[in-house]
Amino acid sequence: MGLFSEKQELETKTAVSSDIAVSVTGLTKTFSTRKAVDKVSFELPKGAFLSVFGPNGAGKTTLLRMLSTLTRPTDGSIFIDGIDALEEPDIAREHMGLISHNAMLYPDLTAEENLLFYARLYGVKDPEKRVIELLDAVGLKHRRLDLVRTFSRGMTQRVSIARALINDPSVVLLDEPYSGLDPHAIEVFDQLIESVREDRTFIMVSHDLEKGLSMCTHALVLAKGRVVTFAERGDLDADEFRELYRSTVGMGVA
Amino acid sequence: MGKSKGASPKLPEVGQWPDKIAPAVAIAGIVLTTLGFLMAFFYVPPVAGAAVDGVELIGGMMVANKLLISQKIFYFHMPVAMVSFVALAFSCYYGVRFLMTREWRYDTCSAIAIEIALVFVVATMATGEMWTRFEWGVWWTWEPRLTTYLVLMLIVIAYFVLRSAVDEPERRGVFCSVIAIIATIDVPICFAITRLIPSSIHPVVLREGGMSGEMGMCVALVAAGMFCIGFALYRARFGQVRLAQRVEAMKESLED
Amino acid sequence: MADRKKEKLQESGRSAICARPSTFAQYKTLLMKDLKQEFRTKDMIVSMGIYAVLVIVVFGVALSFAKPGSEFLEVSGGLLWSLVVFTSLLGLNRSFSHEMENGCMEGMLLAPLDRGAVFLAKMTSNVVFLLIVEVVAVPLYWLFFSSYATPADTAWMMIIPLLVGTVGIAGIGTLLSTITTRTRGKDVLLALLFVPVIFPLLYACVSATTAVLIGGDVVADTLMVSLVLAVGYDVIMILASWILYEFVVSA
Repeated sequence: MGLFSEKQELETKTAVSSDIAVSVTGLTKTFSTRKAVDKVSFELPKGAFLSVFGPNGAGKTTLLRMLSTLTRPTDGSIFIDGIDALEEPDIAREHMGLISHNAMLYPDLTAEENLLFYARLYGVKDPEKRVIELLDAVGLKHRRLDLVRTFSRGMTQRVSIARALINDPSVVLLDEPYSGLDPHAIEVFDQLIESVREDRTFIMVSHDLEKGLSMCTHALVLAKGRVVTFAERGDLDADEFRELYRSTVGMGVA
Repeated sequence: MGKSKGASPKLPEVGQWPDKIAPAVAIAGIVLTTLGFLMAFFYVPPVAGAAVDGVELIGGMMVANKLLISQKIFYFHMPVAMVSFVALAFSCYYGVRFLMTREWRYDTCSAIAIEIALVFVVATMATGEMWTRFEWGVWWTWEPRLTTYLVLMLIVIAYFVLRSAVDEPERRGVFCSVIAIIATIDVPICFAITRLIPSSIHPVVLREGGMSGEMGMCVALVAAGMFCIGFALYRARFGQVRLAQRVEAMKESLED
Repeated sequence: MADRKKEKLQESGRSAICARPSTFAQYKTLLMKDLKQEFRTKDMIVSMGIYAVLVIVVFGVALSFAKPGSEFLEVSGGLLWSLVVFTSLLGLNRSFSHEMENGCMEGMLLAPLDRGAVFLAKMTSNVVFLLIVEVVAVPLYWLFFSSYATPADTAWMMIIPLLVGTVGIAGIGTLLSTITTRTRGKDVLLALLFVPVIFPLLYACVSATTAVLIGGDVVADTLMVSLVLAVGYDVIMILASWILYEFVVSA
């Protein structure tokens, strides 16, 4: 390996990372005898919003867990901002945030303490300032000294958004973020997500077809771990898509 | 247990060479163990080591100059104990392989090796019990080897409880591999600690001298036989589990 | 070369507001979080303390027909350690309940974090909580049973086996409770795994504690051997747990 080839490799990597935020090839996860995710491949440009649809057990959550480096795939590759997430998981983690139906907040710590804890884990420079900024952004600055235990589900989920953004991630993963939220909280949540969109890339797993369709720029349908459809929102006729989705979900149930 | 076969990159699978020799090994095992059995009773003379020299207190009775027939248990106790620990070591080896590669086959191998270990540990405990009863006149004594095997048995049992208490296959594999590794590290330490810490109550097993040549031969014979039996059992169980896994995989594919 | 590549890649990302903290800084963050949480709720310490008192009461009943005398010292080492084992079992079961409650464990694992630091932080906090409880429970034990026998002058040296034992219990206990909190029947399973695995350490510690309680010649004979073996167990088991922790925690 000469110096030259090394440099070239680096250049191609940065070239990829300039416009592709997430690139997944041949991603497979086998549980004992069952293939939970089977050769999933897709590429997302920067700033895209991908909605992942599929019936229960289609492998959506497994896919998201693999993207977030929580689960190691059996086969395939994941690139986040041009970083090989399997080779360099720690660097990839710096570029990602996850909002899940679990708040991932300690109920016996205050909102501020929770966020400070995560900020320090990520090594955020000037964590106090960043935490106040984020709490302000999600409209909970006045409650920052209250225990998370005392928060409503909607408020907890807002702190959870702040938690996921603590490291200013370029890719944000959403795992069923609406479960347990009332309509008002959902509205607030959507507005918040919209306000932090900037040029971040989002990948959302949700049961809610309409919700997912209204927000996404790209859609991915999974059934039995395989990709049924992957398309840009612009190329997609909403009614046709609903029909397709219903047929695949129906297939999954049968 | 000659199934290690580390050089081959192929995964362990039914029908590979170990299965071809398994029936022959099983027969050899039975023959060797039977020979050892006969030898223990008819060939090896009772040794002074297992006799009571002078006057000793056994089970609350004063016993003097008696050759104990129970020494014959020793020829089975020790080989069985050896096999059980080797089986545990194999489980540890496959556990490490599973953690490194995440190949399900290794998890299966690890679990089966520990099943074999359990069978032999139970046999060890049973023979050990007989030994303590007849040799020392008590049902149980906290003698280093017995204690170590009790601990080993408890960990192996806990392993199976753990295995049945985790549903997610990958998590189950990782947890069980880790426990197999911890058990394999723990057992020698346990033996060392119970042995090395001075205590007045512990009787010494081989009272004087080591094993005579005849004793050694007999133990080696039975040990070889037991290893063969252990190996054959392992392959038989492996074949059975793999078959069940294949049926499961077929069911899965039929559902699609 | 590889390092430079890493740096380049990192720069190309947008995480300009973050600078990866050292493993030690992360360890401190994790530990402070555990301590702050526990000293706020006092969940673990209070329940362990009460449990320790209850165990002592049970001992009191069990020994109520025993003859007081110097034989009591021979039993005391063992009784003290059963007190420690039962109490720490209770504490270890709880040490991960906060992490599992809201999926916090996952939140932690999402951060670029050395998994070994998670283990060391959790182990340290467990050592701290166990020691706090022992500081209360052990004198209490002697208070209740002072009428039975007076320990030898060397009894203060009991601190050494207690320390060594507590570190070992916290080390292997952290690994095992990380495993069992994510299984069905967590509490029972922890006991099932913990007691046999901890057996050698327990044996060595009981031997050392009994030696210092009795005093005299036994101290020289037994104490050093027992302590060396107990420390050996600690080192081997903590190393093994530390290496295996990465697999366990990400499973």
